Amino acid sequence: MAASEAASTSQPAPAAPAHRVVSPWNPANAVTASRFLTLPFFVWAVDHGYHQWATLFILVCGLLDKVDGLAARVFDCRSTFGEVFDAVTDGLCYGFALVICAAYGWAPLAPTILVIVLGLGNSALRFAYAARAHRTVNYKSYAMERLVAYTGYLIGIATSGFETLYFFWLFPVCMAIVVAHDAKRMLVDPLPPAPAPRGVAA
Amino acid sequence: MNVVSDAVFSWFLTFLVGGLSAAWLVYDIRNLTKLRGADARDALVRDRRFGYIVGIVVALIGLVGTARYHGLV
Repeated sequence: MAASEAASTSQPAPAAPAHRVVSPWNPANAVTASRFLTLPFFVWAVDHGYHQWATLFILVCGLLDKVDGLAARVFDCRSTFGEVFDAVTDGLCYGFALVICAAYGWAPLAPTILVIVLGLGNSALRFAYAARAHRTVNYKSYAMERLVAYTGYLIGIATSGFETLYFFWLFPVCMAIVVAHDAKRMLVDPLPPAPAPRGVAA
Repeated sequence: MNVVSDAVFSWFLTFLVGGLSAAWLVYDIRNLTKLRGADARDALVRDRRFGYIVGIVVALIGLVGTARYHGLV
């Protein structure tokens, strides 16, 4: 017993986990970047009035959003850069598609503008949070995750004419509530402890 | 230029919006149920609870929208 205790105390303390360097040129980020390739085809379909094709291309864009997370887990290449890149790609792809739908009269203009303004406000809040927390984390909000999925749906709803006015007018109401809730968490509530370190982009 | 017939496309959208909304409703109700008894003073628990409630509301919006599309509401 004493010998085993002596043996255990003589072992060196486990080293702290080292920061693993993950290249930004990894399969997960490649899948994320490939989402931009669907946008020219989407614009082509909207411009020609092909509703079904436009719906298909925005569906592919949404599906690739799921595949990049899967690729990050399979290839073990998750990084802070990848998380931020994913969030930025979400905003750019869905924001651009919403603007195109509104420009071609496929989506009502007023709620589309409200959604974009609220989206920009949410991005500004995230920057303010990063400055306050002194770390460039992709702020996690369970409610906003659900609304991002709803945004993907909104574009599909606009391209297919599936109760467009109903879905578009209810969305800014939900988004305003969630942005107000997240604003309180990011700007007022105490900061949560720093998350476990992820891979650092090379 | 269509990919499929209008009727098939209509039912595809019904499955996509209505079907996924129904699945999402069950998923977030289950998530919310699991949080019963969790410490409400924990900010993460509060955020998760709020997120699941938003998920349930969004799912209900999806189900009602699908019913409206088919003239049921």
